Amino acid sequence: MSFFSPLRRAWTHRALVAALVRRELTARYRGGALGFLWSLLNPLLLLAVYATVFRMVFAPRADVRPYALFLFGGVLLWGFASSALTDAVDAFRVNGPLLRKTTVSPEVFPAAAVGARLAHLLLALPVLAAALAFAAFRGRIEPGLAALEFPAVLLLLCLAVFGAALGLSALSVHFGDVRDIVGNLLTLTFFLTPVLYPAEAVPERWRWVLRWNPFSSFFNGLHDTLFYFRPVAAADWIGMAAATGLALGVGGAIFERLRDSLAEEA
Amino acid sequence: MSAARPAIAVTGVAKLYRRYARGAHGSLKSALLGGGRGPRREDGGVVALDDVSFTVAPGETLGVVGANGSGKSTLLKLLAGIVRPTRGSVSVAGRLAALLELGAGFHPEISGRENVEITGLLLGLSKKEVAARFDEIVAFAGVEAFLDAPVKTYSSGMAVRLGFAIAAHSDPDVLLVDEVLAVGDEAFAHRALEKFSEFERAGKTLVFVSHDLALVAERCRRALWLEGGRLSADGPSGEVVARYRERVAAEEGERRARAAGAGGRIGSGVATLESVRLLDGSGQRVGLLRSGQPAAIEIRARAPEPLSDFVFGVSIATVSGAAVFGTNTALEGYRPELFSGEARVVVEIPSLDLAPGVYAVDAAVHARDGAPYDYRRDVLRFEVTADRPGAGVWSPVRRWSFSGGVRWKG
Repeated sequence: MSFFSPLRRAWTHRALVAALVRRELTARYRGGALGFLWSLLNPLLLLAVYATVFRMVFAPRADVRPYALFLFGGVLLWGFASSALTDAVDAFRVNGPLLRKTTVSPEVFPAAAVGARLAHLLLALPVLAAALAFAAFRGRIEPGLAALEFPAVLLLLCLAVFGAALGLSALSVHFGDVRDIVGNLLTLTFFLTPVLYPAEAVPERWRWVLRWNPFSSFFNGLHDTLFYFRPVAAADWIGMAAATGLALGVGGAIFERLRDSLAEEA
Repeated sequence: MSAARPAIAVTGVAKLYRRYARGAHGSLKSALLGGGRGPRREDGGVVALDDVSFTVAPGETLGVVGANGSGKSTLLKLLAGIVRPTRGSVSVAGRLAALLELGAGFHPEISGRENVEITGLLLGLSKKEVAARFDEIVAFAGVEAFLDAPVKTYSSGMAVRLGFAIAAHSDPDVLLVDEVLAVGDEAFAHRALEKFSEFERAGKTLVFVSHDLALVAERCRRALWLEGGRLSADGPSGEVVARYRERVAAEEGERRARAAGAGGRIGSGVATLESVRLLDGSGQRVGLLRSGQPAAIEIRARAPEPLSDFVFGVSIATVSGAAVFGTNTALEGYRPELFSGEARVVVEIPSLDLAPGVYAVDAAVHARDGAPYDYRRDVLRFEVTADRPGAGVWSPVRRWSFSGGVRWKG
């Protein structure tokens, strides 16, 4: 199917995508004394801030404890998804010279934008794992085998984000507004997604908002696997699969349609 | 790949670019409210290429010449597959490498080593292929000592050499080269040309866009001349280049005639210079000469009132202002007696031994004490070409001889 061609081509050029991701990371951390350590330090500091704020300043939510831990996973995952989409919107602007002067497959640029953010997330996950282990050691949570379902949740999220990244990156070449629209939509969606609160905390009559928000099931999946340690609900698997299929289908189709014009317009 | 199959086949190709500036229609609002599909508009576009057809046989070296905006770069982009033709078809057989902008893929913050790998991948090499060629690339570029420094610390020459080295070692069947030799120094240009010769010997196809007409005539057996997006000539490079030069010289001549005197004119007007022209050996007015040919500078002057104190002078300088030659009638020993009415003054030069380049002529008529009657700066420009390039402004008749332990090929 033609709208899966961008995914296939990105896979064909995975060595180049990996090199672009590496370039992004190297360039980002070059010149700093701590280098790659920042990828660990950033989430660690974030966790420390949450733990302090919700212990000393705000009363943590009574229904989710330890709340800082609940928040930490969600914020990491949201940070990945939203920054990957934001970067993807700019991917062709940033790589315009390459696109215009080389015969490279354009798919690699949104793929590398998503890949670089994924790499940051993967570097932060050990901090989350350590925090979970610490909480388990203190008896605050009871880990379980459901955590093993998390990689599947993450994989689906990556594919969904990549699909959306394809569509948005190609659209933003033609329409300067896309960047602002995406930025605002992401800010709004953050509060409509179970990141700061568990889905159960939403009153029944507002649940439909979460149901129609494609991000919701991924964060339910995250909370199930890495906070409550219970198997992901079938409805959420279906939600994740549908969101992924939709993002890849629509994003891929838009990309495929605009692909030939990218080098001229970027 | 059979020998009969062309390496490049371009059939009836046209390319239109949208005219409006990016952003004019580049908002969702205009696309939604304007009712049309934002991109893909074809009306009111700029025709970059129109009805271009040609084929290139494997192993052929093809030069492409033409003025800026004639479609040369668009043609290369079409061949490279970076943009698609609006009409017609382009097919290229085998692996292609395009040297459209050396070092285009370089990221300033990462090391030369990392940039080599990523650029190799961008050019379609596998990681293994990049690794296998790595040492050769680095040696060719001569950047061994700086491999682990970020590319932003490289001189522009180093970056260009490295960019060229990567592309040249990507082992293409078809190599597209756009004006890249203009950016390096002499030594680099020399090595790059050697590399091109290697390609030719290996039976690779080379398409070569350049403003250096002598180079095109020398390196390419065949050349295309693009003019306003159309194929104006396709044939042996010597002929195509000569025809193109004639056209350029004719246009330049017109332009110079229009701009005559624009370089500045001072003087009392007691006598005036009506025209200053460059003539070839047969007395024809020219703008382009071959080094070593006879030439003459002809001045037509007028003195409304009879004058007994007058000097005619001419000087030749490079366009950057370096004096090449200058003389006047006083220096040459002519003692003025009478200048009245119309006069024609000609300085003949039996052999114009100038190095290739563009030169500017100043001409004057003035009093013996130097007070100008009419002094015209940059009144005339002309171009000199030569079979044998050389540095400087002088291209004397020369002969080499060798003895002892030195021997030459061929």
